[in-house]
Amino acid sequence: MNAITGHARKDAGAASGRPMLSRFATLRFRLILSVALVHAVLMGAFVWQAVQDQSAAIRAQLLNRGHELVGLMTVASTNALLEEDLGSLAEVTARVKHQPGVVYGEIVDVRGDVLASTDPARVGRRDRRSLNANDSFPLRHGDHILDLSRRIVVAGRRVGTVLLGLSTRGMDTALAGTRDKGLLFILAALVAGSIAAWALAMIVTRRLHGLIAATRKIAAGNLEVRVNSGSRDEVGILADAFNHMVASLQRSAHAVQHEHDKRTEAERLACVGELAASIAHEIRNPLAAVINAVRLLDDNKLGLEDHAEVVTILNTESQRLQRILDDFLRFSRMREPRPVKGNVTALVQEVSQLLARDSALLERVQIENHVPEGPCHAVFDPDQLRQVLWNLMLNAVQAMPDGGRLDVSAECIGDQVLVTVADSGDGIPAAIVDHITRPFFTRRKGGSGLGLAIVQRILMQHGSKLWIDSQPGRGTRMRFHLAAA
Amino acid sequence: MPRLRKPFVILFLGLLLPLIAGAHANTAADNASRTRYLRFGVLPLQSPTRLAEMFMPLVAGIGRALGRPVEFVTAPSFSAFMTRVKQREYDIIYLNPLLFTEAKPAGYRAIVQVAQEPFVGILVVRKDSPLKTLSPATLPRRLRVGFPDPNAYAATIMTRQYLRKLGIPLGRDCKVQYFGSQNSVLMAVHSGLVDIAGTWPPALRSMPRAIRGDLRIIAKTPPQPQMPIAVRDDLPTAMVERLRRYLISLSHRRAGRHILQQLGFVHGFAATSNQAYDKVAR
Repeated sequence: MNAITGHARKDAGAASGRPMLSRFATLRFRLILSVALVHAVLMGAFVWQAVQDQSAAIRAQLLNRGHELVGLMTVASTNALLEEDLGSLAEVTARVKHQPGVVYGEIVDVRGDVLASTDPARVGRRDRRSLNANDSFPLRHGDHILDLSRRIVVAGRRVGTVLLGLSTRGMDTALAGTRDKGLLFILAALVAGSIAAWALAMIVTRRLHGLIAATRKIAAGNLEVRVNSGSRDEVGILADAFNHMVASLQRSAHAVQHEHDKRTEAERLACVGELAASIAHEIRNPLAAVINAVRLLDDNKLGLEDHAEVVTILNTESQRLQRILDDFLRFSRMREPRPVKGNVTALVQEVSQLLARDSALLERVQIENHVPEGPCHAVFDPDQLRQVLWNLMLNAVQAMPDGGRLDVSAECIGDQVLVTVADSGDGIPAAIVDHITRPFFTRRKGGSGLGLAIVQRILMQHGSKLWIDSQPGRGTRMRFHLAAA
Repeated sequence: MPRLRKPFVILFLGLLLPLIAGAHANTAADNASRTRYLRFGVLPLQSPTRLAEMFMPLVAGIGRALGRPVEFVTAPSFSAFMTRVKQREYDIIYLNPLLFTEAKPAGYRAIVQVAQEPFVGILVVRKDSPLKTLSPATLPRRLRVGFPDPNAYAATIMTRQYLRKLGIPLGRDCKVQYFGSQNSVLMAVHSGLVDIAGTWPPALRSMPRAIRGDLRIIAKTPPQPQMPIAVRDDLPTAMVERLRRYLISLSHRRAGRHILQQLGFVHGFAATSNQAYDKVAR
């Protein structure tokens, strides 16, 4: 489909992050329209004036010719009219009849009787003049005869009248031709103006389009782009300024990147230091216990009972050290997720049922599963998401040492799958809510502080995040969502 | 529906009848306008335009006096004029005494004539002409004589009678030409186309001063009854009498004298009758 509607173009532009203009909102279209309209209006006014002038000249020419002919008739017929010489008068009208455009010509005496006419049948009848006679322009609609008359005056008194009708059809044809030519001129001017406007718009907007394309590349992160400044006009100056701006932006970006790298490196070193300190802190206590236990075992003075107790401590602390190191290794060596499409509700049910197998746990914690019957599909790494769910549920159970209620739910909401794990424990103080997902942060004795850190990291790798709502004394609700598939 | 039609018929007739009445009234008005003009026919003694200039003020004055418009008309020739006279096309006519004798049988009646000035024909030459007197002995051979029209009474008939009495017959030794009107023949003698021109005094007086100054009257015929103005016998008597009084009164009023000046009849008109022309003959 080559034809794209305005809405589709806008939607496509919005989807790609590029604002798409309507064809009629472009500078090119407006420029073409403006120049073409101005051209057409000016040429139209000029041609209209020329047509008016020419029309007036044609009308004046016909009018003058009519007056000349009437004058000649008057001179030629005066004596014959006085003599009532009908033969001479008829000769006058016969000659007039052969003049081009003459519709009628009559010579009327003072009584109003027609003495001679181009139509012989009218001789002896009454004067044909009526209220509809038009002796000047413009004529009434539908009237195509210019009616002229002149009194024949002798010694200051009228002795008769000469009437002449001239057809205006030839003139009308000439006027129509003039108007048609005028319209053709206007049309030609419009076409020529449009072509000129199009060429001008192309010249002006072509470099603007280059600027727009360069801007889009810059927005996409390419700061190497430059535009051709071309001629030394406003657009060329704008292109130069644009290039200078991009160069400056590129220098700033390099400086920012350099600064960012430095900060990242510093933060990384600080993180490593913090992590080392945390590890040292975590393993120092059990390691001190192990060292003391080994030192005590080296003392022969220990009784059998104390010896056994020291061995127990040694085993316990060694296992603790091992668990700490295993969690740390799991956290630090976390693999990249291998997402596949799967049913989240089934996985939630599987983990909760696994948790419910612990009969001791069930004696103090009530597990409520709010999973819908139907599937909620999403794309995720099943092993990693199983780890997330296990850690969250285990964390919730551990938050209720005196028993309580664990609510687990998974629901499809729109294009997302929302998973919630809530406990009715003591809750988390607001001051530390933001810290509990950091590595080695724990409030529980014997905890590694890596469970929620692992959860947060896995969720981040899935493009999600852990949301924690906690009310001290009433419990904590932890949620995350996955994009539905 | 019939109930509805009746008002429409009444309305239709109400609209139609005034139209019919209006059309009838217009026709009547047209007929009235056609008949209300009196036609004043003037013998084509001079060019039509010149005659119109002379007679237009008189025609307008007659129209005012009679309360009816009067149309001035003349004719292409004497014969055409007389044909129309005999066909009674004119209400009022002005013509020479001889032609009036022909108009009488057609029903025309003389009411006034040009006053005081004797009705004579004159023979005119250029002022620088070698002709001083009219004598058969002194006249050159191949004499060229011009007249306005064969029927011009004073200018042609009377002058030819006069020449015949002088023993100057216009036979083989003379070349006679007719120029159609009085001023044409005067222009002809002025320009040398003819040696002598027959005309009458008002025509000479009507010529431009420059032309008139170059001409000289060489002979004058015995007087005859003056040019009459006659009316057709079907005109109402009261109107005829009003016309007669008006014409006679012209010389008594300033406006009338102006009209007479245009005509060249400085003494105005005097009453006359058909009997005054009984002796006029060819």
